[in-house]
Amino acid sequence: MKRQVAIVEDEPAIRDNYAAAFAREGYAVRGYANRAEAMRSFTARLPDLAIIDISLQDEPEGGFELCRQLRALSAELPIIFLTARDSELDAVSGLRLGADDFLTKDLSLPHLIARVNALFRRLDALRKPAAPADVIRRGALTLDAERMQAQWNGAVVLLSLTEFWMVHALARHPGHVRNRQQLMDAANVVLDDNTITSHVKRIRRKFQGVDAQFDALQTAYGMGYRWVE
Amino acid sequence: MTLRLKLLLLGLATLVLPWAGCRYAREMESALREGEATSLQAVAQTIAASLQGRTDLLYREPPPAPAPPAQPLAPAGGTEASPQASADGATATADVAAAATPALPAAPAATVASTAPAAAPADAAAGGPGKSGPYDLEPLVLTAAPLLDGYTEDWPRLPAAWKHFARDPQRHFGILTGVYERMLFVLLDVHDEHPLFDAPGTNVLDPATFGDRVWLGFEDPQGEQHQVFLAATGPGSVTARRVEIGEYGQRSAPIEPRIRGAWQTTSQGYRIELRVPLSMLGRGFGVLVDDRDRRGAVPVSYGMLRSDDLHTRGRLIVASPELGPYLTQFLQPGLNLTLTGTDGQVLARADALAVAGTLGAESPLLARLYRRFVDRPGERQLIESSAPIWDRDHQGVIGALAVTQAADRWIHLRDHALTRMLNFALITSLVAVTVMFAFAAWLALRLARLRRASESALTGSELTTTFPETGARDELGDVARGFATLLSRLNEYTSYLRTLAGKLAHEIRTPLTIVRSSLDNLESEQVSPAAREYVARARQGSERLNAILIAMGAATRVEEAIGGAERVQFDLVPVLASAVAAYRGAFPARRFDTELPGEAVTLAGAPDLIVQMLDKLVDNAVDFSPAGAVITVRLRLEPLAAVLEVENLGPPLPLHVERRLFESLWQSRPDGDSRPHFGLGLYIVRLIAAFHAGEATAVNLPDGSGVRFAVRLPR
Repeated sequence: MKRQVAIVEDEPAIRDNYAAAFAREGYAVRGYANRAEAMRSFTARLPDLAIIDISLQDEPEGGFELCRQLRALSAELPIIFLTARDSELDAVSGLRLGADDFLTKDLSLPHLIARVNALFRRLDALRKPAAPADVIRRGALTLDAERMQAQWNGAVVLLSLTEFWMVHALARHPGHVRNRQQLMDAANVVLDDNTITSHVKRIRRKFQGVDAQFDALQTAYGMGYRWVE
Repeated sequence: MTLRLKLLLLGLATLVLPWAGCRYAREMESALREGEATSLQAVAQTIAASLQGRTDLLYREPPPAPAPPAQPLAPAGGTEASPQASADGATATADVAAAATPALPAAPAATVASTAPAAAPADAAAGGPGKSGPYDLEPLVLTAAPLLDGYTEDWPRLPAAWKHFARDPQRHFGILTGVYERMLFVLLDVHDEHPLFDAPGTNVLDPATFGDRVWLGFEDPQGEQHQVFLAATGPGSVTARRVEIGEYGQRSAPIEPRIRGAWQTTSQGYRIELRVPLSMLGRGFGVLVDDRDRRGAVPVSYGMLRSDDLHTRGRLIVASPELGPYLTQFLQPGLNLTLTGTDGQVLARADALAVAGTLGAESPLLARLYRRFVDRPGERQLIESSAPIWDRDHQGVIGALAVTQAADRWIHLRDHALTRMLNFALITSLVAVTVMFAFAAWLALRLARLRRASESALTGSELTTTFPETGARDELGDVARGFATLLSRLNEYTSYLRTLAGKLAHEIRTPLTIVRSSLDNLESEQVSPAAREYVARARQGSERLNAILIAMGAATRVEEAIGGAERVQFDLVPVLASAVAAYRGAFPARRFDTELPGEAVTLAGAPDLIVQMLDKLVDNAVDFSPAGAVITVRLRLEPLAAVLEVENLGPPLPLHVERRLFESLWQSRPDGDSRPHFGLGLYIVRLIAAFHAGEATAVNLPDGSGVRFAVRLPR
């Protein structure tokens, strides 16, 4: 059965382009122009993944509201914010509301589809028992590439997809500096410096939430970042 | 010229007040002087009136009327006096008048004679002031009694006052007379080729013993003629003797003790100095010299007496001894009263000019200083006035009274007024100048505050909209409010501009996403190779557009990053070293030099932002320097700040852009640069510097070879 991808986007041209791309990948795509329309459909039947724009027609923050309502319907449903807005605040708000990822529309379609595929893969992996082959251990850190799950001293650190890929890229070769471009490539995103910086900050904060002494993710000023065991 | 100076000069204009004061003081002085002159004239006239007809005082005439001279101020009651009394007075003088024929005054006497009562002609002729005759003597008024020694040193040196009488070129004498108090002093200088003393120790009446002798002839107050002779047997004091013929015809020569004198020989002859009490003397007076070349010889007589009977021919025109005290009673400090006869000879003088007036106390220093500005140098500080003294009938003038007043009195009055006025004017000026200067300083201060505010309004890290002086109600307040309004408009405009890029980027992003997603889809479709090329070009274009959008939103993102940045304590040195190492890799066409301190430089801030700031500075340096150029990254330590400097060789900054460099949306780049620039790089530098409470500046290198950007970060 085809996975259902719901696209809530008020711009028909974009919506149709995305729909076409997902359809080509074998997904069943449902498109909605506004929140009311989307909610009506979601209450009837939940999609397997929702891609939501933040501003929806006459509601500038309609996407956030929709995300909140959708999360209320299902805690498991992967939600991706896809927006023309690239402000840090929006990203923080979106992720706090339980979105799995926050992407800007700079992202190319192949990148977007790669992420969606990854998200579904993680969902599948979480349902299956852990396959130890894809697990990387670096000191206290355990990265499960299959489930896209990170653990620090055995405690699960909830990372977004982008964050996980960044940590993964860094931790695979501890001590090596990964520059911003490498991190972006690894995470399948196009981001500017400040966004990467804030991603890194968020990652650190999340690890520090588990272990206040966390200091493994270091900045090599002017160059990039490195993982230190 | 600064405002302060201008207002100061304006304040100095009030110095016109003291100047006007000086002018006024001069006016006042002349008015005062005029007033003083008038009052002095009144004084002179009053005194002159009190002397009207007082020939007894002026010329020792017998009292014209029985009215005693004890009422000096009574305006010469003589006019009302009885003719009989006048006649009595006149009888005594009639003879004298007759005797004095050669010296008779002419015109005034004549006119008086024609109009006055019978007694008047004699009176007028005798006491009349008329012209003095050749034998008349007008004694000087002496200021001190000469010592009777036969020398001239203690006499005034007045050649014009001498009278000369000559018999022939070998025989002549000069006579000088003077009055001091109640004495007549006579100085007789006789030219004699053969001075001859009497034979000593013999009878003075024995003609054989006679040497040079001098006869003195005079009228007594009663009008009788008397003669005394002076004979000396040697130099020294000399006595006068009168010749008396006794009851039986015997002749004797008793000494006249009241007359004293001294006889002294000189190179030309001899000199006699005499003293005669005025009380002995009436109107006539004269001397006769008996010159003998040999003792007992017949003398050659010449002089002022008639040679036959030795009666006087000339008058002694001298004031009564009472006149001096009479004048003195009118005397006041600073006054000089001088009474002159008809032909100008001084009859009496009372002088108190040198006596300081009661008001003439030592004036204070300031007053003396002021006086220098007011007085013209060399001005005589005296006022003079004179009044004629009329005779009893107010027909003829018998003398004149000159009154001189020293200036001290009214100078002092003027100084008093002047000092007060000038003090007042100067204080006024001083206050005006001070007030104006203070006002100017205050205005200048306010203007300077406005100027500083307007200068820093645009160049500060934030556009200032609060402006000083806007609360003021005057014109400056209006200006300030105008500025504030302008600035707030400008601020709105600038913030609009600043957000415009972000907004524009956001608005463009949606259509761009349509284009890009369409291109993504297109690549999945089967397109011809030729079409694929167009797709590739379209993608290139859209990627560039995307880069532009990212650049446009950079400042907004940095602002957000700053808003969310956390301050941590970090060492700046390794951060910079690491960053520069990265630049070496990123820009292989430039050489990077670092000058970093050996010690740790701890700063509170966001190292990410610092690196981002350095990125922008280095980016800028790379853009503006030729390939292979050296870019120096330097951290300089100052007592309170760390200064991060980035120097690059390259074209110098255009003039006057140093302050604008760091503004949003401002750039000065050569054309033809393919990368999108929005003049945000250095604005981001400024934002990050401001986040660290620092300040970014740019200067050309001293040798003009390049540019130095500096960020001062307080520690």
